[in-house]
Amino acid sequence: MKKIMTVCLAGLAVLMLTACGGEKGKNLIVTEEEEEKIVNLFSPMEKTKPDADNVARSASDKTIIMAEEKCGVSVGYITYTAEDYQDKTYDEVALDRARNNMDDIYLLNPDVIQALGEEGKLADLSGLSCVENLRDVVKIANTVDGKLVGIPQEVVAYGLFVNKDMFDQYQLELPETPEEFLECCKVFKENGIETPVGANRWWLETFVFAQAFADLYNGGNTEAEIAALNSGESKYSDYMRKGFDFLQELIDCGYVDAKKALVSEAIDGEGEDFLAQKTPIVMAYWGAANTETAYGATDFNMQVIGFPSSQGQMPVVSMTGFGVGADAEHREDAMRVMEVVLSDEALQVYTETNKVISPSKNVEVDCVPALKPLNDRIEENVYVLGSNASMKMEQWGNTCLVVRKLLGGATVEECMEEFDKLQEEALKK
Amino acid sequence: MVRRMKKQKRSRKESGISLLLSIILVFCVLGAAVFSVSQKISKEMSASAIQNLSESLDLIEATIEAILKNEADFQKLIAEELAMTDDLEGDICFYEKSKAMVKISVILTGKTEGISSTGEKFSEEGLDFSAGKTVDGLPVTKSYVNYMGTWAYTMKCPIAKKDGKELGTLYIEYVYDSLDRSLPDGFYNKKASLYVMDAESERFVLKPKGMGERSAGHLNLEDFYRANAVSDQELQKDVSKCLENKQNMLFYHDIRGKSSLNYMWSVNDGMIYLVGYVPIEAIQQEGKTVTQNILIVVVAMLVAFFLCCVLYYLSQRQQNKIRKEQELEREIHNKQLAEALQAAQLANNSKTMFLSNMSHDIRTPMNAVLGFATLLDVDAENPVKVREYTKKIMASGKHLLSLINDILDVSKIESGKVVLNIEKFTLSDLVASVDAIIRPMTREREQNFYVEITEMQYEYFMGDETRLNQILINLLSNASKYTQPGGNIWFRILGQKQHSAQYGYVRIEVEDNGYGMTPEYLETIFDAFTRAENSTTNKVQGTGLGMAITKNIVELMGGTIEVFSEVDQGTLFQVDLELRIPEEQMDQEFWKENGIDHILVIDSQKEVCKNIQILMKDTNVVVDTVCSSEKAIEMLQEHSFLEKGCQMILLDSSMPGLEGRKGVEKIREILPAIPILFLSAYDTQGVEEALCLEHTGILAKPFFLSALKQKIMEMQEGKDTEWDVEETKDTNLEGMHFLGVEDNEVNAEILEAVLSIEGATCEIAENGQVAVERFEKSKKGEFDAILMDVQMPVMNGYEATRKIRALEREDAKNIPIIAMTANAFVEDEKEALDAGMNVHLSKPIDIDRLKKVIKEYTQGKEEI
Repeated sequence: MKKIMTVCLAGLAVLMLTACGGEKGKNLIVTEEEEEKIVNLFSPMEKTKPDADNVARSASDKTIIMAEEKCGVSVGYITYTAEDYQDKTYDEVALDRARNNMDDIYLLNPDVIQALGEEGKLADLSGLSCVENLRDVVKIANTVDGKLVGIPQEVVAYGLFVNKDMFDQYQLELPETPEEFLECCKVFKENGIETPVGANRWWLETFVFAQAFADLYNGGNTEAEIAALNSGESKYSDYMRKGFDFLQELIDCGYVDAKKALVSEAIDGEGEDFLAQKTPIVMAYWGAANTETAYGATDFNMQVIGFPSSQGQMPVVSMTGFGVGADAEHREDAMRVMEVVLSDEALQVYTETNKVISPSKNVEVDCVPALKPLNDRIEENVYVLGSNASMKMEQWGNTCLVVRKLLGGATVEECMEEFDKLQEEALKK
Repeated sequence: MVRRMKKQKRSRKESGISLLLSIILVFCVLGAAVFSVSQKISKEMSASAIQNLSESLDLIEATIEAILKNEADFQKLIAEELAMTDDLEGDICFYEKSKAMVKISVILTGKTEGISSTGEKFSEEGLDFSAGKTVDGLPVTKSYVNYMGTWAYTMKCPIAKKDGKELGTLYIEYVYDSLDRSLPDGFYNKKASLYVMDAESERFVLKPKGMGERSAGHLNLEDFYRANAVSDQELQKDVSKCLENKQNMLFYHDIRGKSSLNYMWSVNDGMIYLVGYVPIEAIQQEGKTVTQNILIVVVAMLVAFFLCCVLYYLSQRQQNKIRKEQELEREIHNKQLAEALQAAQLANNSKTMFLSNMSHDIRTPMNAVLGFATLLDVDAENPVKVREYTKKIMASGKHLLSLINDILDVSKIESGKVVLNIEKFTLSDLVASVDAIIRPMTREREQNFYVEITEMQYEYFMGDETRLNQILINLLSNASKYTQPGGNIWFRILGQKQHSAQYGYVRIEVEDNGYGMTPEYLETIFDAFTRAENSTTNKVQGTGLGMAITKNIVELMGGTIEVFSEVDQGTLFQVDLELRIPEEQMDQEFWKENGIDHILVIDSQKEVCKNIQILMKDTNVVVDTVCSSEKAIEMLQEHSFLEKGCQMILLDSSMPGLEGRKGVEKIREILPAIPILFLSAYDTQGVEEALCLEHTGILAKPFFLSALKQKIMEMQEGKDTEWDVEETKDTNLEGMHFLGVEDNEVNAEILEAVLSIEGATCEIAENGQVAVERFEKSKKGEFDAILMDVQMPVMNGYEATRKIRALEREDAKNIPIIAMTANAFVEDEKEALDAGMNVHLSKPIDIDRLKKVIKEYTQGKEEI
């Protein structure tokens, strides 16, 4: 009892002393800290859902926070998302902003990286120490005129997201070749599924890449074939034709709703039907399988496989990378931020959070079960690149645009002519 | 009592309920007070939050409006400046873009295409002035993403001469980013979110840095609704209405699980809106602290209250516990009292019953005494009848005496006054004395009495022989009493395995095949003052105290007594005693001195043989046993046996083939003159002839070593070999003169009469004092002995004896003084002997015993 009393009295005394003490200076305003260093980051923002975390965004945020702590800077987020197809695209806005030095760091699609790289609007990142950890394919795909102008935080692999339950329901094997794919679509269509393939205006090109470059990247003669394309000896149209023929057939058979696709944003347009199991097949990037805001939590058995090609299921690999404005206002700070966010430590965090393929040779993380078929192919080094800066003609953006023409009603022949034109323009540069 | 307790319990329960109700009431009042206070505070805080936010938003609104107005003013100034120049399109090129004004263009009046400050061609295409919004009178476009990839708006201003002649129109593109620079860095500690929305397109055109969570970006109002789960259609309608009416709006809505105040704040007459939310906790930070403090106070009060309740409860519980313990104690006490009362009543009843029985039992022989005395008086002349009557009077008197002895014994044992007189004794004497008393009794009742001694290693023990005798007589006389004529009674002494070397473990069994007892009686057999059957109906006479006395004595000796019985089957009493073994137990020298080292036992009963072997174990004497006459003869003829040399044969008196004289002769053909000792169970029947021969004797079975030794000595001394224990010699007191000290005249008269019958004379002294004086005056040898009563007036017997012994006379030390008293206990005897008396005889006087004792002591005196 005495002890308790003693403790109580001691506590009281401490409280009183605390209450009485702590007098401060007369000036009530706390001296402000020195001005914050700001680095502006321009990146897309997907339409958010209430009470759902965007895993991809969280992963990126974690690395940004890491950079802020290490570099003593504050990263300001600037975003843009097109409201609809009539709006300027993110890529267009990114180009505008980069050209006008609006921001310091940009998250860019491969075609934009190539375009801005060629314009000299992006700084050379090859001096960053993290570069030596990067996989060769990453460096090759992002090097323009000998400058490494973009570095991704993830190697984005595109694949077909299929509703395995529906395939099982109609006793269909997952397709390996374009023919098998068409057969599957036919069966689905016969069974009352109006549009077996959900599509948007961005990602139908992946079908084309898979068929066009399956042999180029997996035939053992890659460099020579690219050299032939860069010199004009070979024509892109020759590579692209079969893919476009295939898309044409999908459109003609009604397996793809071309009109809808042309005005649909990625995931926004087709995602709803896929999740509602009205559409058995869509195409998306690797991270969509991990993200609740995309296809991370389906009610059915979802699997991600490669696109049909002569070489079997073919993943299409592309890289959405960070670029730093060559004339950015806070270029030095931006470079320091890049050094951190692309370090192995940051990439490990990013990769673990996002469960993606890391651009660093040193970082490996298990993928979610749905991605296993796709991952297996990549592990086997079987994939095609959706963008390759070493090719003089930019493909990712250009092909997308040409596919849109096809969706808009152009013939395959007209599309091929467009490719020839584009190749010609590119070779002139 | 029970009702009172129930009442108490009920009242306690009621008080508990009322206490609980009071506590609940106090809580309700406290809760209501806290609730109303918190409600009031909440309302006030809510109003304060709205006011606080409104003021902040007003400030931002005013800032943005000021910027817009400045822009408009500046644009007007430029227009005025340009109006003064002749070459509008040429002069425009001199204007450079700034951070706010990113594009300055001019279109000359009447043309659709003009020129920008950058030199590019410019047209109104893509600029939407249709909404009719203005800033300070200048038309403003709908917001759009400009060539820089950022949200912008364009204001147009006519370029007119002072005379009113319009030269062209000045278009200046402004970016929303410029507003950011003029807005405060952070809003409600960066917890609030703020967007700038173009009212016309409902597009979010600016998210100022430092405003709200950086990861949250919204496209447009619809995206804002979706992202923040604003699904209430009514609310959305209200928002639309506000936008239409260019009004401000504040509403509560939870954003990511946090209660937030949402706002739509019109700027520049609804051209743009400030849209966003502030978590309530961010606005009411100090309010929150106040609430927390109130809560802490309330919680502290509640804790204190609970603590009080707990303390009260604990003290109540403690009190209840004490009360219960007291009640329990009282109950136990009451129970004990009730039990004691019951026991007292029972004891009282038992005693009443006992007294009634005693009264009856005393009256019966007394009646016989008085009745026969009357008859004696009548038939005094008829010697036959006189003898018959006196015999009956004697019998009744003896019975009365036994009754009185038992009563006294019980009373002494119960009062704890019994002290054991521990002395060395021999089992053989004990058995012999018991046998001497019981055997005639059983013979009289035509019962068979068997004595068996098994595996007894020791003969001498330390103990109270008298009390042991009492136990055995009690048990055996009971067995005899409760066994029908022709029945069997067994008296066994069994040696048991010793628990320690100093103590012999002896089991005494008394078994009969008589009437047996009912289980109910067995339960109370050892209780004092209780009897199995009312003596009125019991054909067997007895005090009913024997067993109680027996048990008490056994327990006093540290032993146990058990009884097993079945009606009409018989009864077995088992007494277990541990008796100390005296140190000088064995006299091994005896056998050596007498040259005995080998004995042959010929007995048909193996057990007898075995017992003798056990008995002789420590004597260093080899004991061979043989169970049949043939084998015995064979053995006797064996060379090896003869070599060993046998000094004595113990022969079963009823050994088939070796009976009596023939047997002796048969044996002596082989071993001439060998001493032969017959072992007999009862008497000399069949061996009388043989006993006439030399070196023969008879020993009662079972026997102890002392008896055997005695017999051997007798045989060696050539004494008579008589079966019976020495008969009482015919003694008389002829010519002897005694001093009788007796205060009771009747007793004195009886003493004189009895002695005169024996031919002796007696002088009576009426008390001790007189006796001392008389002896003092007497001549030497005048009195042969003094017969001294103990309880007497003036001087009692003990004191008188001490005084006599203290007299300075030669014969004072050795004159036999015999105590003759009604104080019949062992302690009395001890006291008598301590006082200097020679022997103690209890009244009534047994004339034979008196004679024997007188003779014993007077002879001794003579020898001296």
